[in-house]
Amino acid sequence: MNKFERKMKYFVLTVASIISVFPLYWMAISATNKSADILAGKMIPGRFALENFRNLVNTYNIGKAMTNSIKYSVLMTLASLIICSLAGYGFEIYHDKVKDKVMSILLLALMVPFVAILIPLFQMMSKLELLNTSLGFMLPTISTPFLIMLFRQNTKAFPYEIVEAARIDGCSELKIFVKFFIPTMKSTFAAAIIITFMNAWNSYLWPKVIMQTDESITMPILVASLKDGYFTDYGMLMLAVLLCTMPTVLFFFFLQKQFAEGIAGSVK
Amino acid sequence: MKSKILTSFLAISLSLSLVACGGGSNNTDSSGTSTDASKSITKVEEGSEQNSDGEENSLTVWCWDPAFNIYSMDEAAKVYQQENPDFELNVIENSWDDIQTKLATAAVSGDLSTLPDIVLLNDNAIQKYVTTYPDLFESLENSGIDFANFGDSKCAYSVIDNNHYAVPFDNGAVIACYRTDILAEAGYTIEDFTDITWDEFIEKGKVVLEKTGKPMFSTQAGASDIILMMLQSAGASMFDENGNPNMVNNSVLYEVMENYESLVTNGILLEMSSWDQYIGSFTNSNVCSVINGCWIMASIQTAEDQSGKWAITNMPRLNNAENASNYSNNGGSSWAVLSSCKNKDLAYDFLGKTFAGSVEFYETILPKSGALATYLPAKDSDVYAQPHEFFSGESVFAKITEFAGKVPSNNTGVYYYEARDAIATAVTNVISGSDIDTELKAAEETVRFSMGQ
Repeated sequence: MNKFERKMKYFVLTVASIISVFPLYWMAISATNKSADILAGKMIPGRFALENFRNLVNTYNIGKAMTNSIKYSVLMTLASLIICSLAGYGFEIYHDKVKDKVMSILLLALMVPFVAILIPLFQMMSKLELLNTSLGFMLPTISTPFLIMLFRQNTKAFPYEIVEAARIDGCSELKIFVKFFIPTMKSTFAAAIIITFMNAWNSYLWPKVIMQTDESITMPILVASLKDGYFTDYGMLMLAVLLCTMPTVLFFFFLQKQFAEGIAGSVK
Repeated sequence: MKSKILTSFLAISLSLSLVACGGGSNNTDSSGTSTDASKSITKVEEGSEQNSDGEENSLTVWCWDPAFNIYSMDEAAKVYQQENPDFELNVIENSWDDIQTKLATAAVSGDLSTLPDIVLLNDNAIQKYVTTYPDLFESLENSGIDFANFGDSKCAYSVIDNNHYAVPFDNGAVIACYRTDILAEAGYTIEDFTDITWDEFIEKGKVVLEKTGKPMFSTQAGASDIILMMLQSAGASMFDENGNPNMVNNSVLYEVMENYESLVTNGILLEMSSWDQYIGSFTNSNVCSVINGCWIMASIQTAEDQSGKWAITNMPRLNNAENASNYSNNGGSSWAVLSSCKNKDLAYDFLGKTFAGSVEFYETILPKSGALATYLPAKDSDVYAQPHEFFSGESVFAKITEFAGKVPSNNTGVYYYEARDAIATAVTNVISGSDIDTELKAAEETVRFSMGQ
């Protein structure tokens, strides 16, 4: 690669990065400006961050929304990981004639948009008396075909010999999973954690339909309601969006290496 | 180091994209999905219907906007508590989109137990929801609430088959706000823009544009607000009295479209690409007037440096339409009582003694929230007559309440939102060079298709 090509490559990458990062920059800067400055197109940091924060805290229960979002996201991520990793592992390791057909049916569920099952799901939860409960919120989304597929595909790279050797040594099936499978598949778990956490964090339609009280508000629902009045305080809105984005960004930073490996592993 | 910075940049962009994707996929408007579902609604059995807490002296309310609707509801509760100290009000914040989704889901699934006692509805959607889900809402005919205290046009939004279904609240009377300093540069005063026609407005607008370089006003491109305001100012509608689309041979609509085209082509009306830019266009002094529902005042007042430079008058009227007036309405909302309400008498009494019966209540909410009443007796109150410093020291609130009483009523129609979107498409195409007849025909066909005709 000659010098010109290298320069061009970096130029294109830099431009692409700036375009991608600009909204984040604008969001962060706007969180420190007042509404009128944002509308006037001010692009440098201002001194209104504290005032925006005060307005936000005084008008909305941001603490509750943040706590709820973290609580639900962590619980859903843990539950999803346990269920989907076991399912993906089972699909690949155990032999059965119809397992591929079952998997195909499962994958078909990926094609059905959530709005299509919203009403039946609501009726189901109503009959189970789970409306307005944390369990009702989390139950339908903790097992997803995508995550099962991710684990199944990655399990293909897990040496079957380990399972056989462990069985000869007298290990129980669950012990093989916990002692050998989980430590080997760290990167897959990291990818699964990020994907599930982000989906859980951004979850909007289902919690807004099933959760009815102010006590159960989550961050995305709070952010959505900030733009619903006759007058929008853009400084406050941007600060809330920034606070809503931070956990997922931080999460990604901590796990980005494993995430890349995990995703690469699933498409090998 | 360089590669680390680059990696970080790329990592941030990727994670942001994932956040954005995750949020967008679930964010679906349910209003469109719910129209045909009415047939499957099942009535709640007696005894199982219940409000969220079921207590005897409490009510649950869903509404949006803490600075406006929620604040007003809380203040109403305080007024009511003076006579009923045990009364409790539980206001739950829900955005308008959320309310639509929740109402539709509950109605279609047949489980109304999650619904509140009172809900705030956008005026333009009341016909649609009450007609689509008739079992969801309670008629207020025998509630003892006196609807004669509200403007006819405001009540018309919530009257279905001669039954009142909601207590009018939020005022959406159209105002025309002018920058008097910019008008003065062109040699005009606010009086030159009072009680005028659109033709006069366009002629004067040309002069203002020539002398100051500023267009008269702005709107959001692809929105049909201006069109619908003009249409209602002559009492006309996109539907006939039987609820069928009435666009092709609608002479008023044709005149409105011609006006709009003329405003844009003459550079008098500036089309902005988003709502935020629309707000920015007048707070940044890029245009010299704003024509919209009176709730736009809150946004105008964010430009604190423009205090005293604004004045309010009525909007221009159509030139040829038979019932042309200088008054119209855009937006607004009303309180409906749901059939799932356990304490219906309490709900009627509460609404009747506050939103539909207390000038004192409206006097309380006005100064802090700017929540303007459609309750006509409030306009004679001293608080409403207070001069407003930002708007050239005029008593704008009394003026707007008076405007509200003069707004001609029109037929919103069940398929209002579908028609509004079809008209918005037609307007965009007309501005791009298509002719009005073709576009109105296409719009009418689109609405008929949505209605299954």
